[in-house]
Amino acid sequence: MAKEHLQETIIAQGVKVEGDFVSEGDVIIEGEVKGNVKTKAHLRVGESARIHADVSAKSAVVAGEIEGKLTVAERLELGERSIVKGDITTQVLSIAPGAQVNGILTMGGGHPESSGHENTLE
Amino acid sequence: MYYYIYDEFVSEKKYERELIAIENRLADLGIAGRVARLALFKHADALIADELRRGHIETVVVVGNDRTMHTVSDAIAGHDVVLGIIPLGPDNQFAKMLGIPSGPAAVDVLSARNIEVIDAGRLNGGRFVTGVCFPKEHGTVTCDNRFTMTSERSGMIEVRNLACGEVQAGEIGNPTDGLLETVIAVEPKHSFFRRASGHKKSVVGSKEIEIDFPEKVTATADGKEVESAHFSITVEPMALKVITGKARMF
Repeated sequence: MAKEHLQETIIAQGVKVEGDFVSEGDVIIEGEVKGNVKTKAHLRVGESARIHADVSAKSAVVAGEIEGKLTVAERLELGERSIVKGDITTQVLSIAPGAQVNGILTMGGGHPESSGHENTLE
Repeated sequence: MYYYIYDEFVSEKKYERELIAIENRLADLGIAGRVARLALFKHADALIADELRRGHIETVVVVGNDRTMHTVSDAIAGHDVVLGIIPLGPDNQFAKMLGIPSGPAAVDVLSARNIEVIDAGRLNGGRFVTGVCFPKEHGTVTCDNRFTMTSERSGMIEVRNLACGEVQAGEIGNPTDGLLETVIAVEPKHSFFRRASGHKKSVVGSKEIEIDFPEKVTATADGKEVESAHFSITVEPMALKVITGKARMF
């Protein structure tokens, strides 16, 4: 019987990926990606990463650069050296001092007592 | 019924005592069977096909090394048989990954008959089980026809079902996930002010991999060399039944 195992994907520094990249497991990007990035699990974008793609993940921690739409179903953390040029959609957001964001931010859900109104910052 | 395929090299004098001990242990445990010996004009696929026509083989046992295993695993493709190994001599990484000790101790593992079903791979039509190693050249990797991977500088490329070459701790693939791992190792750039940090190896799982090089290179699959400029690699999910030991690495 095949074992249940969601493989971790790593794009290390010095490697360039072009195309539609889809994964079931966690993804770590420290290199360059052009195209689309989609994972149902956790995404970590390292400081050396340069992503020119629409990105979709369940949760994410970003320390590098993303140019494209960023959609995170649960929690998004932007580190102090992170640069995001594109629209962000997420439920919970943490932005460290120094992070740069240029785009439309859309958030929703979160606290159980909340009315569930979407909050949009432009 | 057990069918033993001996590689040519095990006839050398230096393996004689060990081979006798193995054969005695096989008899003691009641798992002795028919024996065939590979030779210049005796190939594994013909031997196995003949034996299958003759009667019922449940288990084909390789007595040899990684190259023997590579030849026999290709020959049993498409047949419902279990593959066992009695490793002799050097170059036995596959047996190590399966947790099979060398020599007579392997017979006890064989007798215990702990069977695992694992993936295999196809490289330009030929089967491999452990992995494919490429030399340090600039190659373009295309995964599942969806995306390509290239590196800034020449890097080592491996496609692993289990592992390539000498097994390093923690560097073994999962041979039961229906995927092959493409591993690209490129030394990251260092700067005077910042030490390179982070992962040195890229690891991506996929079912189909195409690798292109500007010129012909020699890849090594299960210890066997394959020369080409284009390599087409696919996974064969759950294609191989193998006997494993308790010390298996996956």
